Amino acid sequence: MDSSQLNTLTGVIDKKMNRQLKVYLDTCARCAICKDACHQYVGTGDFKYLPARRAELIRQVYKKYFTKSGEFVPALYEARDPDDNLLDELYDSAYACTGCRRCMLVCPFSIDTAWILSVAKAILIAAGRGNEMLGQLADAALFKADNFEMFKDVIVDGFKDIEAEVREITGNPNAQVPVDKQGADILYVALAGAHSIRPAAVIFEEAGANWTISMFEAANYGFFYGDVEKARLITKRFIDEAKRLGVKEIVVPECGHAYRVLELFYEAWSKEKMPFKVSHILEKVDEYIKDGSITVEKGLLKGTVTYHDPCQIGRNGGIFEQPRDIVKSLTDSFVDLTPNRAEQWCCGGGGGIVAIEELKDVRLASGSKKVEQLRASGATVLACPCENCRLQIQELNEVHELGIDVVQVIDLVVDAMPLKGKKPVHL
Amino acid sequence: METYLWITSVWGVYLAIAVFVVGMAWRIYQWSTTPKSPIRLGMFPKPKTTAGRIGKMLTDTFVAPQSMKIEPTMWFFAMAFHIAALGAFVGHLRILGEYPILPGLLEKVGITMNDFAAWSGSIAGILMLVGVLYWIARRTYGPYKNLSVPEDYLLLFLLLGVVVMGDHMRFVYGGIIHAATYREWFLNLLAFKPAFPAELLESNVGISLGTHMLFTDLFLMYFPFSKLVHSIGAFSSNLVRSE
Repeated sequence: MDSSQLNTLTGVIDKKMNRQLKVYLDTCARCAICKDACHQYVGTGDFKYLPARRAELIRQVYKKYFTKSGEFVPALYEARDPDDNLLDELYDSAYACTGCRRCMLVCPFSIDTAWILSVAKAILIAAGRGNEMLGQLADAALFKADNFEMFKDVIVDGFKDIEAEVREITGNPNAQVPVDKQGADILYVALAGAHSIRPAAVIFEEAGANWTISMFEAANYGFFYGDVEKARLITKRFIDEAKRLGVKEIVVPECGHAYRVLELFYEAWSKEKMPFKVSHILEKVDEYIKDGSITVEKGLLKGTVTYHDPCQIGRNGGIFEQPRDIVKSLTDSFVDLTPNRAEQWCCGGGGGIVAIEELKDVRLASGSKKVEQLRASGATVLACPCENCRLQIQELNEVHELGIDVVQVIDLVVDAMPLKGKKPVHL
Repeated sequence: METYLWITSVWGVYLAIAVFVVGMAWRIYQWSTTPKSPIRLGMFPKPKTTAGRIGKMLTDTFVAPQSMKIEPTMWFFAMAFHIAALGAFVGHLRILGEYPILPGLLEKVGITMNDFAAWSGSIAGILMLVGVLYWIARRTYGPYKNLSVPEDYLLLFLLLGVVVMGDHMRFVYGGIIHAATYREWFLNLLAFKPAFPAELLESNVGISLGTHMLFTDLFLMYFPFSKLVHSIGAFSSNLVRSE
């Protein structure tokens, strides 16, 4: 391969190098114990999805260009150049990975394959081979920030429509979806689509919260694409907004990666401390139920409810109990999936894969474990606080005819709230 | 024979120890001077206190409960091998000097130290052999084979050599040459006055010891440049797990 390309790609590894990565690359014993932890490997049986194999592709380049032993005896490590063949393999491995980190859970050395694959994505982007769809979605988010005046009226009109719905649902003619509210306590950063705003607005209004809605959405395709700078700028859109409005807390919606990006990544990316707290909407709802700010009634929900821990909220975000407490306050008929919490199987829809059409077959095959779990639970309702998980599980639900209602947790909460107005029906 | 022993069991040992120590020091230096990522890579639930974190790191490193849960067979063989290897290492310390207390205790129940060493060494030797054979077998089929690179086979080959020749010494010459004789050779080595005890040269154990040491030398020299650095890397990466 030509030397300038080689320099660029090895330069990416050099730039991304840090202690964790180096230890991960040096220590893997290729014991393959991670094999049965990966929903994609288990679902497809395809060697390229074995977690240690995915990481091995980066290790092969690392050995050749970053270690003396690999430089002298490359054959010993199957060390190789980041040529077209390797990049092809890397593309499949990296963009198929949902970043659930279940392989890290079982690894005796806790090797974070997703962290190694973040280098893979950076290499692919530098080689002009990043996933196009994810790249375009990231650019669209940035375009919106750069040309905000162009979008503002449409967005505000949309909020007004939702406000009308909220008034109808709550029966409160003064209910609001506050826009650009200076001095609000909470900035709620929703997802694109009324479904993530409407129930949240009902809850905030009923709880009497001093809140305002963000002009931007929480989803971050820059993160999925693997471009840290884009991911940072996409998040920065509402960080700047929060600073301008002087809020005390940013609340993210029922979305997995948005929570992790904000709570665990953003400060490191931007090298500055955030002057506000980050919460997941379900942490707030749990608080509201427990302190009596909102009232929910048991018995309004029909069927057996179960809960799916989205990887980025659960294993990778640390929120396990609040959503369960919420669901248990809505119904007496709650069952947990097995396994659950930290050991939860990934649904197969994370990491942006639901947006990648060419990986659809892999994605559906990789849902086999989730389907098994759902069947075994006997549940008829799945409470699921992550958009990508919902999209994936809804599709699995149809393909495998599971007959399960896949709903947001906040929708269930609104269903169980005694409100004066006309409630939407989710079940 | 004497030349072979001088190469493998004198000069080879010096070289191997030097390469091993410098290599490991270099590895640790490299790791510790590479800046840490400011992003916390831990997974939940994580212990809140430093003591809890260290406790979890030690459990994850020495017991690996999550690994046991997902693949008990692999976990069992890996555990058996590592515990046996540790046992064998401790047993080998006898060539530095006789244990305090233990021989006296054994004497009270009518067992000599050499008999005890024969039994414990045999068990460790067999377990290590079984472990190595298991790993070799595992790398011959399916995804394990596809994932393996020459480094994996080289290390297993060296390890097999070390263990087979060690077992050879234990099972064939165990009743003839005891720790005291090897101790004389090894302490001479450490004192930089290398010499072989006459007893050792007169017996046929030389070829066995020489080959055991040949594999051990090569194994130790390759150790710092191989995946075997997991022996120290595991502490660091398992600590990151609860960051």
